Amino acid sequence: MSEILSELSTAVIEGNLDDIVDLTEDALDEDFSAQDILDKGLMPGMDHVGVEFKAGNMFVPEVLRSARAMQSSMELIRPMLVASGVKMVGKVLLGTVKGDLHDIGKNLVGMMCEGAGFDVHDIGKDIEPDAFVAAVKEFEPDVIGMSALLTTTMRSMEHTIKALEEAGLRDKVKIMIGGAPVTQAFSDQIGADGYASNAASAAELAKKFVA
Amino acid sequence: MQRRKTNYLVNATPTFEVLSQDEIEAIYNSALTVLYETGVRVYEPTGIELAYSGGAIIEDRTDDSALVKIPPWLVDKALATLPGKVVTRGPDRKYKMELYKDAITFGPGSDTPFTIDPYTGKRRRATYKDVKNFARLTQALPNLDFHMSLGIVQDVAVGTYDRWQYLAMLEGTTKPINITAVDLEGLKDQLEMAYIRVGGKDEWRKGPLFSLYIEPVSPLSHSEEVIQKLIFATDNEIPFVYTPCPLAGATAPTTLAGTAVQALTESLLGIVLSQLRKPGAPMIIGGLMSNMDMRTTVYCYGSPEMALLSAAYTQITKWLGVPMYETAGCSDSKMFDEQAAMEATMNIATAALVGGNMIHDVGYLEQGLTSSPDMMVASNEIISMVKRILKGIPVTDETKALNVIEDVGPGGHYLDHDHTYTRFKTEIWRPDIIDRQVWENWEAAGSKTFRDRVHDRVIEILGAEEEPLLDEKMYKELRRVCELADERHKGEELDYNMFG
Repeated sequence: MSEILSELSTAVIEGNLDDIVDLTEDALDEDFSAQDILDKGLMPGMDHVGVEFKAGNMFVPEVLRSARAMQSSMELIRPMLVASGVKMVGKVLLGTVKGDLHDIGKNLVGMMCEGAGFDVHDIGKDIEPDAFVAAVKEFEPDVIGMSALLTTTMRSMEHTIKALEEAGLRDKVKIMIGGAPVTQAFSDQIGADGYASNAASAAELAKKFVA
Repeated sequence: MQRRKTNYLVNATPTFEVLSQDEIEAIYNSALTVLYETGVRVYEPTGIELAYSGGAIIEDRTDDSALVKIPPWLVDKALATLPGKVVTRGPDRKYKMELYKDAITFGPGSDTPFTIDPYTGKRRRATYKDVKNFARLTQALPNLDFHMSLGIVQDVAVGTYDRWQYLAMLEGTTKPINITAVDLEGLKDQLEMAYIRVGGKDEWRKGPLFSLYIEPVSPLSHSEEVIQKLIFATDNEIPFVYTPCPLAGATAPTTLAGTAVQALTESLLGIVLSQLRKPGAPMIIGGLMSNMDMRTTVYCYGSPEMALLSAAYTQITKWLGVPMYETAGCSDSKMFDEQAAMEATMNIATAALVGGNMIHDVGYLEQGLTSSPDMMVASNEIISMVKRILKGIPVTDETKALNVIEDVGPGGHYLDHDHTYTRFKTEIWRPDIIDRQVWENWEAAGSKTFRDRVHDRVIEILGAEEEPLLDEKMYKELRRVCELADERHKGEELDYNMFG
């Protein structure tokens, strides 16, 4: 393992926003491919962060800082990855459903998914089923994540799934849902593909969907 | 006659402070700055126009919202007409909740999706029967002054559950209630029910049967539904709680002073709108301010930061002259256990000592997601104990008891002295569920832990036979409002019970 790739891993783990771009440039100067930088530098760093978070040794703000560090590096190498036809981890579309303005959980899921290497498109809060449908057409995500905090707005989740069915898009995406009153049983009932009880498991679930 | 030296100060009760006067003013002035310079987003046209007509600056209009900036003078004007005392009463008019500076009252929390079944101990979705049972517990527990549902009624239609929830509570208690409403229509229906219960609008005006819970969304967002409720409540003399729930580190600054500034900014918007709409409209601000646990991302209900921040905010409300919606009797534990008792004791003591007014969330477990009858009964005992501390130690010639000490003298005893006989019941707190038996007797009584005894009390209260609080005619009339609401919303429900 080269020293520069290992330094990239460390920069991700430490959330080192000051040096991550320089390190990425150095790695490119040393003729490492964008793919190597991603697979052998950034991802091992994020994997380590994931393990430490689960073990209770790292905390959300630190994980998010690591994800941001990774994103800074990704901005540089993304065009190269795209040009060389490398498949990205996947695309996630996120929104808080119609009637609900409580979006802190959804925002967390977005940051966690970015940290897991996803291309995340967040369409905001109080999102009508039709707006989800339009966004799916435009963005072509692999995974949709919907959130709600209220039992009354939970119904919008099924309405959104129905709208996707009617638009003929349901089979093209995996749907995950979350929020304080949401359960696995409810997810099964409305025909979602999965439920996550927190942001970290949502990112893991999204990874499973695209694996 | 009681004689005292000059310059003698009396501490009639213990006092507790987190912030100094200067610190309170610093937080208030910072909230004014945020309200004027950063502004808040309002998602409702009537509210935006109301603010504008009163003198607010409106910027960045979108299809459904605008940024509202309130100049400090407008806040001053609103505070000048804001009542410092708010009163609600139960259907049984003897139950009166008077909220004003340093007057403490306690009650449960509101809509939890889950509850702990009192008979199986299992966590499950709350139902009509649970909500009625929680109201019966509030009715039976002397240290609870008002009621909140402690469960979302989930065995009825989702869009109209609030009416059923109110009915369930009216079946169980005659104490004042703090209600929630799914929307404006739900609020109107519940007001109609309250008029039926109390005997019309004039009776309501003599003491509203309920206050309304309204929650703006942090940071600095006031939704359509929130503003609609605020306006309707103001117009209809419904006292309401305007309580943001900022989460330090997530939806508010991680520093507690910053969270207080933001929460106050959010509350002040509600104060300004209500007083513009109708000077003198009664409201209560709060309320739940806590930190995000950065390992699990949950909203902490048992953290020391929650108790500390709520206490600090209570001081701010006392200084502003508006009643406070305090938070206590709640925990992050999953069951009623040692953690739950520990956290509840800490936050109940803090809220009471600082003089919080409408102290709610008694009975909450699992970050406010689950309600527990055991937690409620245990908290009733904790409140009782804390109330003794609040009574302090009056120091007078009579209580110093020099003549009694003289009477008994060295080597005697006080057990059969008149002074003891006439005062031990008022001076010394007596536990109800807390155990002080000697070992042998405790063992003979079944070696029951505090948890066992609390649970026994829950079962005893729920098992008691009682006359219905609503006669058949009234029950039917109230039920009719619920059924009509279901009828109107028939098409909106999903094809199955969401929580089945």
